[in-house]
Amino acid sequence: MNTSYRIIPCYTGDVSGVCSALFELGGMVVIHDPSGCNSTYNTHDETRWYDHDSLIFISGLAEIDAVFGNDQKLIDDTVDAALNLHPKFITLVNSPIPYLNGTDFEAICRIIESRTCIPTFYIPTNGMHDYVPGAGAALAEIAKRFVSVPEGKKPGSVNLLGVTPLDFAADGSAESLRETVERAGFSVHSCWAMGDSLETLSHSGEAAVNLVVSAMGLPAAKVLRERFGTPYVAGTPLGSFSETVFASMRRATETGENQFPLLERLNQTDSGIFAIGEPITMGSVLAAMELPGTVLCPLEHCESLLNKNTLAVVGEEEAETMLKNAKVVIADPLYRPILPKGAKLIELPHEAFSGRCFRKTMKNLFTIDYDALRKEASL
Amino acid sequence: MKKLAFYGKGGIGKSTTVSNLAVAFAERGLKVMQIGCDPKADSTLALRGGAPLTSVLDLVRAKQPFDLQDMVRIGYKDIVCVEAGGPTPGSGCAGRGIITALDKLRDYGAYETYHPDIVLYDVLGDVVCGGFSMPMRGGYADQVYILTSGENMAIHAAANIAMALENFKDRGYAKLGGFILNRRNVKNEDAKVQELSEDFKSQVIASLPHSELVTDAEELGKTVLEAFPNSDMAEAYRNLAAAVLREDAVC
Ligand SMILES: Nc1ncnc2c1ncn2[C@@H]1O[C@H](COP(=O)(O)OP(=O)(O)OP(=O)(O)O)[C@@H](O)[C@H]1O
Ligand SMILES: [Mg+2]
Repeated sequence: MNTSYRIIPCYTGDVSGVCSALFELGGMVVIHDPSGCNSTYNTHDETRWYDHDSLIFISGLAEIDAVFGNDQKLIDDTVDAALNLHPKFITLVNSPIPYLNGTDFEAICRIIESRTCIPTFYIPTNGMHDYVPGAGAALAEIAKRFVSVPEGKKPGSVNLLGVTPLDFAADGSAESLRETVERAGFSVHSCWAMGDSLETLSHSGEAAVNLVVSAMGLPAAKVLRERFGTPYVAGTPLGSFSETVFASMRRATETGENQFPLLERLNQTDSGIFAIGEPITMGSVLAAMELPGTVLCPLEHCESLLNKNTLAVVGEEEAETMLKNAKVVIADPLYRPILPKGAKLIELPHEAFSGRCFRKTMKNLFTIDYDALRKEASL
Repeated sequence: MKKLAFYGKGGIGKSTTVSNLAVAFAERGLKVMQIGCDPKADSTLALRGGAPLTSVLDLVRAKQPFDLQDMVRIGYKDIVCVEAGGPTPGSGCAGRGIITALDKLRDYGAYETYHPDIVLYDVLGDVVCGGFSMPMRGGYADQVYILTSGENMAIHAAANIAMALENFKDRGYAKLGGFILNRRNVKNEDAKVQELSEDFKSQVIASLPHSELVTDAEELGKTVLEAFPNSDMAEAYRNLAAAVLREDAVC
């Protein structure tokens, strides 16, 4: 039972991670699912539905088709819809039933692609992982398939990788990030994936450096590194920490080496100060508050972002144990019930954790007054 | 790297034949990897001389970290032996297990690390569900060989497998390399298997005699090629290897 969740919720799933990452890119995403709790993306996990349309579908897998392994309905429906809607690409997303059935998505993609002449690919999800691997794999696939070989690099230009409302939910966050980076003298080449089209993303190979602002962007950064040699920096430019991030970006451009300013920065574990959540943003929040502390990372595929001050935490019980001497915790409000008595909680709602519960008080990480936040935290 | 999958009715002689074939390839200086895709995990027994090998799924089940070396045993003539394994009999999903095991092998870089010239998948019985078609899917085997005798049940199973391959034509799966007749000395054996192969516009690439040496070698825990290298049966397996290589070059 020690990895189960009794009190706090679990994070948004991999399926929603894929959809969130691809929402604005003009593709068509089909979740192969009976319209159960793995396709909540279409009803719960996306706040952009209010203002935007996107071609995200649920296949409506029927029990009998699952039993017989009948993939024809999925193929025909997808081909039909695609021929009517002309998406830029088609993405198939897996869920527990077809996963356990061993449905061959690669083969199905091949058939759909040959019938529609639209690039079709599969993102291997199964509904049993969190949004980081889902969104990460989706952005990485875009980096593999759609980014063209550049003629040259544009000095001072940067791609922002790993931007979706799951980690940056407050309205205007993506714009603020863009402004912050441009104010520092960089030109933002593209933002993966809010506010830019697939066409814009396809020129990302020209950027001199990639800025990975959340773990969702890391796999794409690795692909771009491998394909074009572009170095990346893992850090979110928040408050006073921005200067460090920008310095790392310059160093990355000069040396060609990837930079992990967070791993260098935090080096005190017993301060009683904790931040919980996505490790790049939360590490950057702590750094911006200029507080020593430990980041607890409950998310998958973050191994390369961990060190002695950024610890993986699996399940509620482990989180409770690790937090037992906590004095100050910066986290989503829904973490409150597992904090020790007397610990102070600085609330930073996280959409991938509490969904729309705190939509009204959702903070734009790029405009927070981190000095004030530090004072709030002062013991 | 050539990847070949062997299918056929339960008990028809897949593991025996594939293991002997593996040795025949190795004798020709090829680096061979044999992957048992069967919950019984007994495909590579004769190549390991009784040395234990933990199946991939047993490693997964133990929920302890493991690495590639743990999934593999280097057997006779440096043949790389792997057993997929399966869930506890009577529970779970054996087909899904095969998928997980093959995914793990790929994720752990088995093909890149051992760099075999030939990979042999020894796949259980009939293609009963999606999982057992995994070895014939895109990225796995290029050719499927189907073992059969002249017994009706064996022919029926062989036809089902060939049919599955035909149904998956547009999916980019493996191609049917041909049928291998493993004799049981029943009436009209050659004619029946010949007819089967013609039904699928394919051919019988080799016929293996029914031989006591096979069981004798099995008793010794060895392949025929190791135990009785100069026998006619050993020669029959070598001829099969030659036929497979010829076939494979053609396709
Ligand atoms: N050519 C042959 N001559 C005599 N005996 C044979 C021959 N081929 C196989 N056998 C015997 O048939 C039995 C079954 O063989 P084997 O285990 O290889 O079959 P299999 O198809 O792998 O079975 P399963 O489907 O259960 O995995 C063994 O005892 C083996 O020794
Ligand atoms: Mg066998």
